[in-house]
Amino acid sequence: MRKHIGMLLCFALVGTMLSSCATTETTQKPYKFSQQGTVIWNDEFEFKPPPPEWRVIQVEVGGEFGFGFLRADRGPFPSQSMFVYDEEPFGCSTELGERGGEFFKRYLWSTAMIADMKILEKKNVNVLGGEGLAVLAEGKDPVKKEKVKSKVVFGKRGDRVVAFYLTQWRHIDGTYDPSAFEIFDKFVASFKFLKKSFYETL
Amino acid sequence: MEGHQRNLSLYDRFNARVVGVSVDDVTTLKYWAKSLDLTFPLLSNVTGFLGASFGVGPSPEIKGFPVFSRRTVIIDKKGIIRYVRDGSPDFKEILLFLKKLNQEGGKP
Repeated sequence: MRKHIGMLLCFALVGTMLSSCATTETTQKPYKFSQQGTVIWNDEFEFKPPPPEWRVIQVEVGGEFGFGFLRADRGPFPSQSMFVYDEEPFGCSTELGERGGEFFKRYLWSTAMIADMKILEKKNVNVLGGEGLAVLAEGKDPVKKEKVKSKVVFGKRGDRVVAFYLTQWRHIDGTYDPSAFEIFDKFVASFKFLKKSFYETL
Repeated sequence: MEGHQRNLSLYDRFNARVVGVSVDDVTTLKYWAKSLDLTFPLLSNVTGFLGASFGVGPSPEIKGFPVFSRRTVIIDKKGIIRYVRDGSPDFKEILLFLKKLNQEGGKP
């Protein structure tokens, strides 16, 4: 019979345990530029940076995503585009298709979107040197008169699923800007791991 | 809790098991676990005595609601509390601690 060395007890109230998605800007830069013009982030990731109008954003502790870029777009609130790299996307499965289903149960829940996200397109892609899954989705909230279009790309880092996602918010009568999606695609295509993850070396 | 679910295979590697404790009732926890696809046990402790026995009290951050603070406790096979952290779990720290504990304890 197997003996268990340890047991974890996790105390929490279900209704309030979900983390917020507040973002903060850091004063100490966690990145540097390579001679080739790529960004080296924390000596762990390398990627081509987006144009200068995209501001770096980073979550300090307990956030939903690691780091990314934000651009304020022209037009009435909430016109903005944001994309991030997330080491721990919503869900638990290590299978990309299943993880996608789990992910969209909770994706953007904190924005209190009334309408569920509708999947517009789903396709297999190559990302991070292996198999990936790209999902295009849209949500509309007729009460708040806003909508969001999003592209999520799931890939693998070791055994674990990681994700990139772009959200573009618009007034419900606004039009989306496809250039942000092109910039996001270039970012994802250029993204490399410079070392093994914590979980791969554990 | 999703983080713990993601790490179940790693906890298994280090001979550890995870149990969630909440002041929510069984029905709430059942639906909540289903919504997050959690497969590890969740204990409903509506009176909060179990939490209180581990020093977990009402959260000072949210006044007026019966909300308990988050705390992670690691107990070794002898029943000794070896690790206590408040707030959101630091999963990497937890895994490193369990790895160390497993190495200390030898193979089961």
